[in-house]
Amino acid sequence: MNWLRELARRIRMLVNRRQFDSDLEEEMRLHLELRQQDQLESGKTADDAQAAARRRFGNVTSLKERSNMAWGWEWFEHLTQDVRFGLRILSKNLGVTFVIVLTLALGVGANTAIFGLVNGILLQRLPVPAPEQVVALVIQASGSPLGALGFSYPQFTDFRKQTEPFCEVFGQALGPVNFTADGHSDTLSVSAVSSNYFPTLGLKPSLGRLILPGEGEKPGEPAILVLGYSFWQKRFGGDPGVIGRQVRVGGKPATIVGVAPKEFRGQFSIFELDAYLSLNTLFPDASPNGFWNSRDHHSILSLGRLKAGVTHAQAQSRFDVVSQRLAAQYPVTDKGVSVRVMDERLSRPIPYANNTFLMFSGLFLILGALVLLLACTNIANILMARASVRQREMAIRAALGGARSRLVRQMLTETILTALLGGVAGVLLGGWLSRLIGSFHHTGFPVRLNFGFDWRVFAYALAVVVFTAIFAGLSPALRATRDDVNTVLHQGGRVDAAGGARHKVRGDLMAAQVAGSLMLLIVAGLFVRSLRAVEHMDLGFDPNQLLNVALDPSINNYTETQAKEFYRALEAKIRALPGVQSASLASSVPIGYIRGRQSVYVEGRPVPAGQRAPGILFNSVDSAYFETLRISLLLGRAFTDADGETSSLVAIINETMAKHFWPGENPIGKRFSLTSDAGPFVEIVGVASDGKYRTLAEDPESYFYIPLAQDFTFVRVLQIRSSVPSESLIPVVQREILALDANVPLEEIQTMKESLSGTLGYFIFRFGASLAAAMGLLGLLLAVVGVYGVVSYAATQRTQELGIRIALGASPRQVLALLLRQGAQLVAAGLLFGLAGAWALTRAMSHMLVGVSPSDPVTYVTVAALLSSITLLACWIPARRAMRIDPMVALRYE
Amino acid sequence: MHRDEIPPGTLYLLILKTLARSGEMHGYEIANSIQRISDDVLQVEEGSLYPALQRMLIKGWVTAKWGTTAGNRRARYYQLTAASERSHG
Repeated sequence: MNWLRELARRIRMLVNRRQFDSDLEEEMRLHLELRQQDQLESGKTADDAQAAARRRFGNVTSLKERSNMAWGWEWFEHLTQDVRFGLRILSKNLGVTFVIVLTLALGVGANTAIFGLVNGILLQRLPVPAPEQVVALVIQASGSPLGALGFSYPQFTDFRKQTEPFCEVFGQALGPVNFTADGHSDTLSVSAVSSNYFPTLGLKPSLGRLILPGEGEKPGEPAILVLGYSFWQKRFGGDPGVIGRQVRVGGKPATIVGVAPKEFRGQFSIFELDAYLSLNTLFPDASPNGFWNSRDHHSILSLGRLKAGVTHAQAQSRFDVVSQRLAAQYPVTDKGVSVRVMDERLSRPIPYANNTFLMFSGLFLILGALVLLLACTNIANILMARASVRQREMAIRAALGGARSRLVRQMLTETILTALLGGVAGVLLGGWLSRLIGSFHHTGFPVRLNFGFDWRVFAYALAVVVFTAIFAGLSPALRATRDDVNTVLHQGGRVDAAGGARHKVRGDLMAAQVAGSLMLLIVAGLFVRSLRAVEHMDLGFDPNQLLNVALDPSINNYTETQAKEFYRALEAKIRALPGVQSASLASSVPIGYIRGRQSVYVEGRPVPAGQRAPGILFNSVDSAYFETLRISLLLGRAFTDADGETSSLVAIINETMAKHFWPGENPIGKRFSLTSDAGPFVEIVGVASDGKYRTLAEDPESYFYIPLAQDFTFVRVLQIRSSVPSESLIPVVQREILALDANVPLEEIQTMKESLSGTLGYFIFRFGASLAAAMGLLGLLLAVVGVYGVVSYAATQRTQELGIRIALGASPRQVLALLLRQGAQLVAAGLLFGLAGAWALTRAMSHMLVGVSPSDPVTYVTVAALLSSITLLACWIPARRAMRIDPMVALRYE
Repeated sequence: MHRDEIPPGTLYLLILKTLARSGEMHGYEIANSIQRISDDVLQVEEGSLYPALQRMLIKGWVTAKWGTTAGNRRARYYQLTAASERSHG
């Protein structure tokens, strides 16, 4: 407690500073006067008495200082002095200050924006109590990549029951779902959550209630849903009256029971869920092969909350035990299935084995660091130029007794002040940039990229600022104060005392800038070329002038027969429209809506015991499909109207599937089954060319088509190929659908081009390319400014020397060549290092690029050529100015 | 840190002793009193009494308050605190 009282006394002293000083002064004055009087009384003259008193007392100023120092505040005093002095210097050099602040703001802004993104996607924990206990439970079947599957409901409940003492298992199934309220419908991104989802996460509703324990885990219970907070705001204007409102979800009546908490956006950092349904609301079907009973219906993504004191390893071994037990119990479905317990943040955005997301984040953080480094070198350059201007000032201060540490500290204080200004501007810029990033246009999945800044982002920005200040400020400060006072004062500040070394450092900085910006530009170039390649990629179908119309007549309580009749009539009407070339129906859309996989059992090749039949992507289409999408058939025939419900089962497979299952054979006439080794069998009648099915970046994948007539689905997509622009058909098509049945809701109507710019399509490529290009241009700008600055500064410093050379007969051309040669050497060195750096950096990019190699020579050569010509131009301009030096003026200079 | 020429402990001890004997005193009185006890401690710089007094104020060994001298002048009077009286007195 004593130290506390002591601290209180110290602080009181600091606050009453002036009082303290005057008290001390008065006290000392009294002492001196009393002593003087004493001396007078002992017979000295007035002058002698005063001198003696002074002598005995000692150095008043130094004693005052020591008394002051006793209180331990001298660092504070120095700091305030330095800050005051620093501010004066900064405001005197407004131009320079502005350039430094701007440069730093660009560097810090770019870094904060990128870090904010990475932070929001990967680092922030879920906004729930004790989020560190939440783990992702990722299921893995032998032979499939991690996370390729979800849990089936029976599997999910088995794990939930059998791992109870270690972990509370909860989960959800995702889906787009049709939502109708107040007479109009939308497609929502929802998750159907297990009844323990909200209780285990520990969330409280912002309104009404959440889904309760035990609720909605049996088909047939009343359908209920909880709205996401921002969907509630957007769609219902935050109306508290929505609680208890009857709406339709997937065409069936459901009741809104509550609104989720504001800060909870679902467990996926990257997109926001509109609503949370009870499981029975999304899966009303109670059939034995449906969601509730089949161990083959893998749709649940699981999380767990570890019980207090349970470690990941303990939970993992429990899950291993249960997996083995289940594999023995259900060998057909559960053999080879294991569950990996991992940090929930590592499973983002979706737990795929080949998660390029982490690498993406890492790469962009490195790009950010490069931009910052360029900004830093520019600032260091400016500071060094300024330091040599202030060399004289520093020498004088050193001569007057300023300790070197004090001078360095003072210069660093100036840099830190500027850096803080730049940092504040940078964070503001970063906030603006991240809002810009958040508004990046896309369709499809509602990706959320606009994250608020939290303490991590601010801490990051602060670290960046401090790093800059020290990196850019320390070296110039040390240099400026290192020089021998005598030399500087004698030279009159005309010649750089440490000239050679200083020029070398500035040259190194310039080469580093060229290298850094070359790396940035090469990465940007690769992304841009990859985007070009993706945009011109052969998708296996023609996406131009194609319109997709998704429909679901089951919402209108249609029977199968009614639905078929509806689609037949609609197709006929659409085909008759002017401008329509052809129209067809399908159950899924490439790079959009995917129906899932089907087990394929090849005739005559039974699946070995303990193994699973391979799951292959498929689509059900009608006879006009291949013509409408312009998918070419390599062998055999397309479907015809004769391939009906009662005729023999047929299929068309793609090239990859043909090569995979029947290598070197003609697959036409071969048969496979979708249900078991025993049939019924489907006969292959054609082979179609490969295409892209799930994402643009995928490798060729097996795929097959079966006739819609032989595989009924309610949800279908009508695809319309037209000779007129697809957009112009939208109102006409809407009118036709309304005319046919005003109650069939249009799930979605979108051109193929627009659908391709969605999250599964071009979005990530455009996003990556834009971000990388922005960083590349920023880097280029900084490098050009830096190179220009270094060369023109070198030219001014050498004015006198160049003047002498010209006076002695050097031609302007020779002077130009002299300066250019030095610049060109530095640029060349920078290019060399930059190429090596870029080559190393881009090794990590192979998974992010499509259609272009990370060592693509075109990109490397073009970018290097571009950068060298721009930087040489930046050298040439100041060198040309130096060439025109008038020797007389130069020699009289100063 | 300490640039005092005398070992600082000695000076503190003398100040404490002086104050313990005579109660309240201002700086000049303390200096004179110490000189009577020991000739060399304040030989070099009388003024070094003041930094020492500041440190003792921080430590809470002494307190100070303003008063008037016999010659009717304002002076700061130092006094031992109860705590230091217990441990040193």
